Amino acid sequence: MTKSIAAPRVDREAGRAYWLMVLPAFLAYVLVMGFPIVLSIVLSLSDFNGGKMFGGAPWSITGFQQYSKILADPYFWSALKNNFYIVLVSVFGQLPLGFVFAYVIYRRIVKWPDFWQGILYVPNIISVIVVGILWQTIFSPYGPLADIINGLSRRDFLAHLAPLLGGSGPVAVGDDLVSRILAAVGPTGVAAAHFASPAADLKDILISLGSVGPKEMLETLANLFAPKWTADFLSIPDLAMLPILFVILWMYTGMYLILFLANMQKIDTQLIEAARIDGAHEGQVMRYIILPALSGTIVNSAILAISGSLSSFALVWAMTGGGPSRITHILAIYMYDSAFRGAPQYPLANAIALVMVLISFALIGVTKIVEKRFGGKEE
Amino acid sequence: MQDKAPGSGLGRIAAAIAKALAYIVMTTFSIMTVYPIFWLIMNSFKSTREFQMDQLGFPQAPTLENYVGAWRLGEFAKLIPNSFIYTIVSTAGIIFLSVLAGFAFAKIKSKWTGPIYASFVVGILLTVQSLMIPLFLEVNLLGIYDTRTAVLLVYIGAGLPMGIYLATEFIKSIPTALVESARIDGAGYFRIFRSIILPMTVPVATTLAILNITTTWNEFALINILVSKTDLKSLPLGMFRFSGSLSSDYGKQFAALTIGMAPMLIFYVAFRRQITKGVAAGAVKG
Repeated sequence: MTKSIAAPRVDREAGRAYWLMVLPAFLAYVLVMGFPIVLSIVLSLSDFNGGKMFGGAPWSITGFQQYSKILADPYFWSALKNNFYIVLVSVFGQLPLGFVFAYVIYRRIVKWPDFWQGILYVPNIISVIVVGILWQTIFSPYGPLADIINGLSRRDFLAHLAPLLGGSGPVAVGDDLVSRILAAVGPTGVAAAHFASPAADLKDILISLGSVGPKEMLETLANLFAPKWTADFLSIPDLAMLPILFVILWMYTGMYLILFLANMQKIDTQLIEAARIDGAHEGQVMRYIILPALSGTIVNSAILAISGSLSSFALVWAMTGGGPSRITHILAIYMYDSAFRGAPQYPLANAIALVMVLISFALIGVTKIVEKRFGGKEE
Repeated sequence: MQDKAPGSGLGRIAAAIAKALAYIVMTTFSIMTVYPIFWLIMNSFKSTREFQMDQLGFPQAPTLENYVGAWRLGEFAKLIPNSFIYTIVSTAGIIFLSVLAGFAFAKIKSKWTGPIYASFVVGILLTVQSLMIPLFLEVNLLGIYDTRTAVLLVYIGAGLPMGIYLATEFIKSIPTALVESARIDGAGYFRIFRSIILPMTVPVATTLAILNITTTWNEFALINILVSKTDLKSLPLGMFRFSGSLSSDYGKQFAALTIGMAPMLIFYVAFRRQITKGVAAGAVKG
C-alpha cells in the first residue's frame, strides 16, 4: 500500500515536528527544575562557598557532613517541628473544615452557594505578603486585638473600682480607701510591679490629683493600672506559632472548599436522590456516597497541602521573619538564612533544601499508602 | 422532586437546628474572612494619629494622604509595570509552550513521550521555592542575575509541569481522527496545531491563565532572590517594605497593602466563576 512507502518521510517529518514542539518546554523545565536539583545535590555534598563556580577558588566533593551537621543542629529540629505544625493544621484543619463548608453548600443546607464560596475564597487571591503584614498588625500589642482586649479589661477594672469611690463629689483620700483599692485590684494590679511600698505610693498619687470627682479618679487609676494586653506568649516557643497557624487556616481553607465542592458537583445527583427515597438519612448519604466519591480528591488535596506546607516561606517571612530569636523558624527560612544571611553556606543551604524535598516526598508516600489501605478502591 | 425530611416531626426539628447551626457557622467564618480585609481598607483612609485613637470605627476625616505617601515610599510606579510584564509574559509563555508540547505528547507518537512526560509530571510535586538556592547560583552562573529574563525564565519553568499536564490531558480528549484526516489531506503538524488544535484549547488555556495570573502576581520568594534592583521587582516587594522599618506608620502601611491587593481583588470580582473553576481544574497534584 502507498502508506508503507510514504512512511519513512512521514516519520521524519513527524519526528522533527515532535522535537520542535517539545524541546522549548523541556529546555525551560530542565533549566528551572532539572538542573537546579542536580546542582543542589552536588553542592550539598561539596565545600563550595560562593565565588565563581567554575574557574574560581577550587572546591570539591566532600561527602555527607552537611547532612550530619543539619541533624546535629537544634535549630533544624525546631524549624522542622514548626513545619510539622503547619502540615498538621493544613491536613487536619483546612481539609476537614473545607470539606464541611463544601458539604453544607452542596447539600443545600444553606442558600446562596455562590455567595459563601465567593467570600471564603477571597484570602487566596491576596498576596501572602498582604496577609502576613495585615495579621501581624492585628496581633501586635498596638493592634486592634489589643485594643479590644484592653477596652474590655478596662471596663472590667472600672466596674470593679467604681463602688469604692462613691457616687459624686470630691473623693476623700484616706488609708482606708487606699487599702481597699489595693485589695480590689489585687496583687497583679497596682501592688506587685510598680511600687516599692504600694500603699504609701498610691496614696501620694491620689492626693496629688487634688480634689477630683470619682469619675476623673477612676480614669486616672484605669490609665495607670488597668491590665494591658501583652503578647508574651509570642516569645514562648510552641505558642509563638499559634498566630501563624491561625492565619494559614484562615487563608487556605477556602481553597479546599472550592476543590471539594467542585468534585461533589460531579457526583450523579440521582444516586443521592435514590438513596434518600430508599430511606437513607443524611449521615448515610455522606458515608456511602459522598465520602467514597471524594476519596481521590481528599488524597490529592492532602498531597497539595503537604508539599505546600513544607516549602512555605513568604507568609512566615512577612509575619515574623522567623523571630523572635528564631522560634518561628521554618525549614525554608532556615535554608534562606544559611545561604543569604551572614557568610554564605551554600552546601548547608542545599542540604536543607533536599531534606525538605525528601520529607515532602516521604509524607506524600505515606498519604498514598494510607489511601491504598483505607479506601480509594472506588473508580 | 421535593426532598422529604425523613418522616417524623423530630427529624424536622433536627434538620431545622442543623440548618440554623450551618448558617451561624458559615456567617461567622465569612465575617472572620472579610472583616479583616474590610478593616484594612477602612483604616487606610485614616491618618496614623486617628488610627491610634480609634482602630475600629469608621474614618471621621477620610484622607488620601496615606496613598500619596505609600505610593512614593513603596515606589509602586516602578513595581506595577513589572508585575504586569512578569504576569502577562510568563502566563502567555506557559500557555503557549504547554499547549505546543501537549499536542506533541498527545497526538504524535514517539518513544520519548513516556520518560519526558513523566519527568514533567514528577515536577508537579516539586515546589520551586525549595530550589531557590540552586536557582540563585544558576542565574549567576548564566550571567542573568538581576535581569527580567531570569525572572521570566523561572516563572515559566515553574509553571510548565502543571501546564503541560493539563494541556496534554486536555488534548488527548480531542478526537485523534481530526488530526489524522488533516494528515491525509497533507497538512503538516504545525499547520494542524495552528488551525485545529489551538482554537480548541481555549478552555485549558483559560484554566492555565487563571492559575498562573494569581500565583505570578503575588509571587515574592523567588523574585526576591533573582533580582536586587527595585527597577526589576514586582508589587509584593513594595508591600514588604512596610513590614520593617515603616511598619509603625500604620496609615501608609494600610494604604500600601490596599494598593497591593486592589488589582487582584478587582480581577477576582470580574472573573470569580472562571477563577473558581480554574482552581478546581488545576488541583490534580499526585
